Amino acid sequence: MEEVELKMTQSKRVALCVTCLVDQVVPEIGVATVQLLRRAGYEVEFPEAQTCCGQPFFNSGFREQATDLAKRTVEIFEPFEAVVLPSGSCAAMIRVEYPHLLEEWPEWQHRAEELAAKTYELSEFLVNYADWIPRGDFEEIRLTYHDSCHMCRLLGLRDEPRQLLERVGGRISEMSESDRCCGFGGLFSVRMPEVSNAMTAEKLHQACDAGVEALVTSDPGCLTQMRGLTEGSSIKVEHIATVLEEVTR
Amino acid sequence: MTATLSEFRQRAKTAIEDVRLQGALDGGTGKLWEMRRLTFEELPNSDALRDHFKAIRSATLRNLVEHLETFEKNATAAGANVHWARDGTDAREIVISIAQEHGVKLVTKSKSMATEEIHLNEALAEVGVEAIETDLGEYIVQLAEETPSHIIAPAIHKTRHEAAELLGRESGRSLSPDDLTTLTGEARKLLRKRFLTAGMGISGGNMIVAETGSVVLVTNEGNARMVTSVPPVHIAVVGIEKIIPTWDAAAIWLSLLARSASGQPLSIYTSVITGPSRAGDPDGTGEVHIVLLDNGRSELVGTKYEEVLQCIRCGACLNVCPVYREAGGHSYDSPYPGPIGAVVTPLLLGRENYEALPHASSLCGACKEVCPVRIDLPRMLLELRADQVAERTIPWKERKAEEAGAFVFKHEKLMRFMTNAARLAQRPFSRDGKLHLPQRLNPALERQLPALAKRSFREMWKSGELEEK
Amino acid sequence: MSAREEILERLRRKASNVEMPGAWQSQRNFPDLAERFTASLTAVRGEVRRAENLEAALVEVGTILEEVSAKTVVANNESPLSDVALAERWPECAWHIVGQSSGDLREFCAGADVGLSGVEAALAETGSLVVHSGVGKSRLATLLPPVHIALVPVSCLAPDIFTWTASRNQEAPMPSNLNLISGPSKSADIEFTLTLGVHGPKRLVAVLYE
Repeated sequence: MEEVELKMTQSKRVALCVTCLVDQVVPEIGVATVQLLRRAGYEVEFPEAQTCCGQPFFNSGFREQATDLAKRTVEIFEPFEAVVLPSGSCAAMIRVEYPHLLEEWPEWQHRAEELAAKTYELSEFLVNYADWIPRGDFEEIRLTYHDSCHMCRLLGLRDEPRQLLERVGGRISEMSESDRCCGFGGLFSVRMPEVSNAMTAEKLHQACDAGVEALVTSDPGCLTQMRGLTEGSSIKVEHIATVLEEVTR
Repeated sequence: MTATLSEFRQRAKTAIEDVRLQGALDGGTGKLWEMRRLTFEELPNSDALRDHFKAIRSATLRNLVEHLETFEKNATAAGANVHWARDGTDAREIVISIAQEHGVKLVTKSKSMATEEIHLNEALAEVGVEAIETDLGEYIVQLAEETPSHIIAPAIHKTRHEAAELLGRESGRSLSPDDLTTLTGEARKLLRKRFLTAGMGISGGNMIVAETGSVVLVTNEGNARMVTSVPPVHIAVVGIEKIIPTWDAAAIWLSLLARSASGQPLSIYTSVITGPSRAGDPDGTGEVHIVLLDNGRSELVGTKYEEVLQCIRCGACLNVCPVYREAGGHSYDSPYPGPIGAVVTPLLLGRENYEALPHASSLCGACKEVCPVRIDLPRMLLELRADQVAERTIPWKERKAEEAGAFVFKHEKLMRFMTNAARLAQRPFSRDGKLHLPQRLNPALERQLPALAKRSFREMWKSGELEEK
Repeated sequence: MSAREEILERLRRKASNVEMPGAWQSQRNFPDLAERFTASLTAVRGEVRRAENLEAALVEVGTILEEVSAKTVVANNESPLSDVALAERWPECAWHIVGQSSGDLREFCAGADVGLSGVEAALAETGSLVVHSGVGKSRLATLLPPVHIALVPVSCLAPDIFTWTASRNQEAPMPSNLNLISGPSKSADIEFTLTLGVHGPKRLVAVLYE
């Protein structure tokens, strides 16, 4: 895990970096994120110039394109005191990769480090910084949790989403290899679709073996990947934000 | 040997459709992985030990020249002959000339990645020298005229039925696949005969120790002991990066290697060869030759890929790799499969031959987590991909698509325009949030790609409907 | 330029001196080395017989020879075996005493039922035996026969591989062949199913004596 010293945010305002995938494909996750942050007592801002953090280009080796998008993202979000993303993978891009990617330009690298220090994945923000403890009588939800690769391995976040789910009545039945990759990997999923789909099928198989109705994850990429192979299956794949939002409404 | 994208995909598809192979991969890798976990749990302070060892490997590579010279001096003093090979051609010539000098017709071999890398067996066959692999798995693979598919479990893809048939054919007896004791007993007999008649033994080297000039070989079966003790001549072919300065450091290597590879606290046999038999030794090898193989390794020193030379070839990264566990070893078409293979194969055996391998990863990072020396394989895959882009060795169409995509994302208004246009275009196929494309148009094959939402988040935000009430 | 010069020159250009970390200090502290040794070797399918003294250990060896109906035995001529009149003690076996008996050692080993040896050291953590080549010490005696019996004095037990390498006498030359033996020969190459004795001995018995 890359260590970034996170600055405790004093202000009650946060900027939402919604991610391109949530914005265009699964906006309900963005809506749920806004509601959750408000329930936790925060005022949410959405800088409209935001587009993509550059990760797809970075992962494909298009460094120049990734660099341009990284600089653009730094510019857009640096005025805010805290930035929250409903995606472990994009949060890891900003937190871990930006400072490396921009190391050729010390000025930009410095700005990237400043941004990295105030960027949070949603569940991490709600547990460690907002200390959000929803009140109410929650019905028990039986679910299993998929640790997305970058969130657990690059950001070291494994407990936070589980804590949140348990706070709202979630009873987690752990699947075997909860941190085995779902097969997404960005463009990998279309560059090598046979392998990617086999990985996803294996993941869903392991989730079904956990004997639950819902498979919850914190990454929209994993979510859409896994949903793509659930036709005819009894398991529902959900994002942590929408699950939390619904039960705390 | 090559792995273009379409070759890799085709081979992976065959592997994925092979139900039996999938069972073997799941069972085998799962078992090795679980055993690894248990032995690491039992080892006090294992994280600190790994960090300590990484620091040793890193410092050794920074001054490889000094350690190699020390090794050469000490091995020569112990009576071994040290040879240097720039590449496979050099190494093959050295081995062949030693074989011919001694009139050798039969060679017994102990599992060696370096000799796989330089296709030594084929070269020996061309000059009329038969080379028999003696690791049971490698022997079965050789009888089947195949190549190994795992660094430490070469026959992970073969069943007991296939093994029984192959060994039965060789011994002229009908063997039951359900009686493994008889099966391995038959292999013991077949190979014992070979050991006692071979004119030369060839091994790799798990490591070489500079301070004593020793070659270290690790096996569970004992075949490396056979290969290095029974025939009159022994040749070890070893990559120059496999050097360790001292025995104190070698002890860490041995401990981490066995634990990472197969979940054992130590392998059954650790054989240390320091020169040929001495005066008074009742038996052993009359001549020891050590071929130090470069084959592209020295070029990597001092580059962003230097870290990959820290690898101790334990194979742990294969067992946790979700791509390897589906695609199997043969998809890589390299002696080095899996995550380490995806990095080291293009670097040592030619990037132009293995363009798919840097992409044979979802960058999940499980390999880095499990690596005893914590090699940052995902980072190196990213570097290889970036090199492909910089060297313009990726398809033109892909380059244009990536460039266009990035251009769109750099302009928010343009992004809105393009995504809205796509919304219109996807209408006939979009249902329940998924694109129901005809299969020949679907790049994800049987998986449905997600459809764009009817309205984007930014549109909802702008409309004011998300404002706090 | 020779291959040697070419490789070394390229490396020399890129070399830099980085401080080498020191030796790893063993973190093991077993209350009873013999107990740990026994548990570890047994866990990998080796066998351990305990004896109160050398004489009792030899009685144990006799029992094993009987158990396996040994007819031919090869014995290394090393401590503590060199002080024992083996052939007189077990006249029912044909013996080859390394360095003393005439006849082809390799041929004898290849046909022997049992190989008998001492050890240089033993490691408690991993249940390992350290054997050397040298005068009176055959490599094949501990390798070719299907059964290997080793006489192991408790005094030679080291906690683990780190303490063993640390205690190595740096002045003494390495033997041409040194083996750490941590169990009977095994393979799991066919469907990950364990089988014993694929190349080396199928049975390894350590007779541990005080």
